[in-house]
Amino acid sequence: MQLVLSWPVRLLIVGILLFSLFVDGAGYVYRIANHYSLTGSVPGLPPNFGGWQLYFHKGLDLAGGTHIEYRLTNFPPGQSRATVQQRTITVISKRVNTLGVSEPEIRGAGSNNDRITVDLAGVTADQAQKVIGAVNKLVYTKWVPDAKVTGGPQPGYKPAFTGLTGDDISSAVAAIDQQSVGWVVNISFTSRGADLFGNLTTANVAACPGDPNTTASANCAGRHLTIWLDLTQNDIDNWEDPTYANKVSQEYDTGCLATATPTSICPKKLVDAVTLQAILGGNAVINGGGGGFTQQAANDLATGINAGSLPVDLQVLSVQQVGSTLGAESVKLSIAAGLLGLTIIVIFMIVYYRVPGFLASLALLFYAGAVFAVFKVVPVTLTLAGITGFILSVGMAVDANVLIFERFKEEVRAGRTIPAAVDAAVRRAWPAIRDSNISTLITCTILGFVGPGPVKGFAITLGIGVVFSLISSIVVTHNLLAIVLAGSRFRRPVLMGVDRVRST
Amino acid sequence: MSDQPEDAKAGKLRTEEAAEDELEGAEEEQPGAAAHEELVEAATQEMPAVAAVAESPIAQPRVRKIDFVSRRNWYFLFSLLIIIPGIFYMVHSGFRLGIDFAGGTEFTVNFPGKPTQAQVENAVAADIAGGSVISTGNGGYIIRTPPLTPAQQKTFEDQLRTGLGTYDLQQVLEVGGTIAGETIELALLSVVLAAVAILVLLTFRFRNVPGGWRAGFQFGGSALAALLHDVFLLTGVFAILGKGFDLRIGEINSLFVTAVLTVVGFSVHDTIVVFDRIRENLRVSQRLSFEQVVNLSIMQTLVRSIITSFTVVLVLVAILASGGETLKGFALALLIGIVSGTYSSIFNAAPLLVVWRRLQPLR
Repeated sequence: MQLVLSWPVRLLIVGILLFSLFVDGAGYVYRIANHYSLTGSVPGLPPNFGGWQLYFHKGLDLAGGTHIEYRLTNFPPGQSRATVQQRTITVISKRVNTLGVSEPEIRGAGSNNDRITVDLAGVTADQAQKVIGAVNKLVYTKWVPDAKVTGGPQPGYKPAFTGLTGDDISSAVAAIDQQSVGWVVNISFTSRGADLFGNLTTANVAACPGDPNTTASANCAGRHLTIWLDLTQNDIDNWEDPTYANKVSQEYDTGCLATATPTSICPKKLVDAVTLQAILGGNAVINGGGGGFTQQAANDLATGINAGSLPVDLQVLSVQQVGSTLGAESVKLSIAAGLLGLTIIVIFMIVYYRVPGFLASLALLFYAGAVFAVFKVVPVTLTLAGITGFILSVGMAVDANVLIFERFKEEVRAGRTIPAAVDAAVRRAWPAIRDSNISTLITCTILGFVGPGPVKGFAITLGIGVVFSLISSIVVTHNLLAIVLAGSRFRRPVLMGVDRVRST
Repeated sequence: MSDQPEDAKAGKLRTEEAAEDELEGAEEEQPGAAAHEELVEAATQEMPAVAAVAESPIAQPRVRKIDFVSRRNWYFLFSLLIIIPGIFYMVHSGFRLGIDFAGGTEFTVNFPGKPTQAQVENAVAADIAGGSVISTGNGGYIIRTPPLTPAQQKTFEDQLRTGLGTYDLQQVLEVGGTIAGETIELALLSVVLAAVAILVLLTFRFRNVPGGWRAGFQFGGSALAALLHDVFLLTGVFAILGKGFDLRIGEINSLFVTAVLTVVGFSVHDTIVVFDRIRENLRVSQRLSFEQVVNLSIMQTLVRSIITSFTVVLVLVAILASGGETLKGFALALLIGIVSGTYSSIFNAAPLLVVWRRLQPLR
């Protein structure tokens, strides 16, 4: 415990304090100076700290967000509507995840399985619609010679449209390959797709005959078949620029595609395959080459192919800005009640423990400031669950102080001088504080990795809170006590909340 | 430490000597040891249920002596009386699922009268169905209720009209739940993983008490039992409230899942504080029996346990009393869990340790 009372540690604490004051304050000063709203994201406000706007990111339950309702039309025939709806929800979830929104709520709705509602916090309706509604088009290309091409996967060749698109696929499913080990993706074409695909693969095999696995010359560019998302004629026209070709040939990025402007270049490749033989039956298998795919890779690819084209058309029925899902009044009342409770705790600590209680309350302020700063910088999206995690960590910070102060009273009763008792109390309370906080941190780590969405927010705020509560209760309170006790007039029993003391 | 006055330094030196002595088991007349001497005195006297004050030449510690340990079977019985019916309800009828898990009916309405959200919430809560209210601004609201039959829908719409005046019903939609199954499964999995991790951590941390690793395992196991006690008590009470009494406050939703996890964290925290004191006392006062050490440790940590729980309960009661409708179930869950967590640390975890020691003596 000697180390805790050293000047480097105190300087570190002051450093953290100044940093938190800056982070907590800077955003507000900037906003007031420029007459912006004090809370929330302000469109057009430049990032003012390390590329971020500093504010509390609040979740759907506290601050509300955008509520979008879609109607599903053009259901593919021959599949149950509930399944199609579920698949659409999966695709939408995948797309929403690229937005980095925390805890989106996506629900199937409608007695006919023909509606989906999406609730998102912290993004504008435009952004959300762009990403969710984006119709990524699956495009099949073959490769044709072009001497001027130097970049991309096939130098000397550029892609060419084949007329085959995602519309011609009825489904893509990950499955275990019957013949070899490993996973493959089975694709079923519609009848039009089957014809096109048959012609294409026949032509491909004719381009350089032989078995591509054994004969190198049979693995020519003309035999490759490549699937892209949203590949355009413009992309092909720019293929002679190696930088452009290399960029587009990378693994597709739906986030980039969703927010693309006409001039942006996004990675668009979904899969590049060598045609092994002419395929005429309307079913194709994509295997992962020698070792096959892993299960994950095959699933991702199947989802990617399915996600490329939503199984249905999405028609936006309504877009609304909605208030907090818990009810604004409800949230306000509860926050007021929580603040009242905290105030009573502070008053209680000061009345019951006197000077130590007052110092612990100061340490709590430091703690709150530091935690809020971290919430803003990370940024942590605050939901009610997250706030609960924070309040629990406040409880643990208070508890650590209560443990120390109760121990302090015991040590004084046992006849120690006040400074000696403080020191002994901190040292003796430490194992309990250490072990209980370690167990909480372990729980948080598990919840953060394994827990369901709403619980992750709880784990993150509790984890951050516990780390700072340790600093606050052990380091800050102890240092403040040591500094105050350096002046002898504070060493009076009445100020320290104890009955009597052996003469010092 | 250059700013510390002389006597503070002296005090520090003394305490370190004292600590070393304690570790060696020597109980000299050092200030640190003195603290334990007195409490040991207090504990070795016969243990009446009523308060008694131990005399000491230096100071007069007012340690109330309550015999917690010997009446342990009553405490175990008391816990089981709540937990067993709870488990029965959980298995027999399950939980009452909230709208976010079970789905329901979603009304999109617009009130020309522009009632406040609180007014709409009250009108909705007055109906048997209940439900959540989300404002879309300018008199528009989205109201989510449990699944309603067309007849119930009609009644609900009429009651809303009686309460708030005419409105424009823009849409009625059946909505599915968000992924309830997955949420509960993942939550359960993480609780199990956390429980195992806590057992391992405590076994490791308490391996230095007399009895070694096996004693550590007894500490870990007892803490785990207290943790399970709290989880089952809370979920059981909610199963009873939701299904047995058919109350809305007993609904299980994602907030309830958060409450259970909060209680897990709190319960272990609380138990560790008591166990840490047992660990320390086992080292310091070796002439006490295990049972006496446990009882002494409970007494020494009692004030702290009560104060800490009291502060948390204070915040929760404030929310329960004045907070919004949607948060009451959540606040109640936390309240039950926190009280149960404190109770189980004192009345279950520590006595269980004594029982376990008797069955498997390690000293």
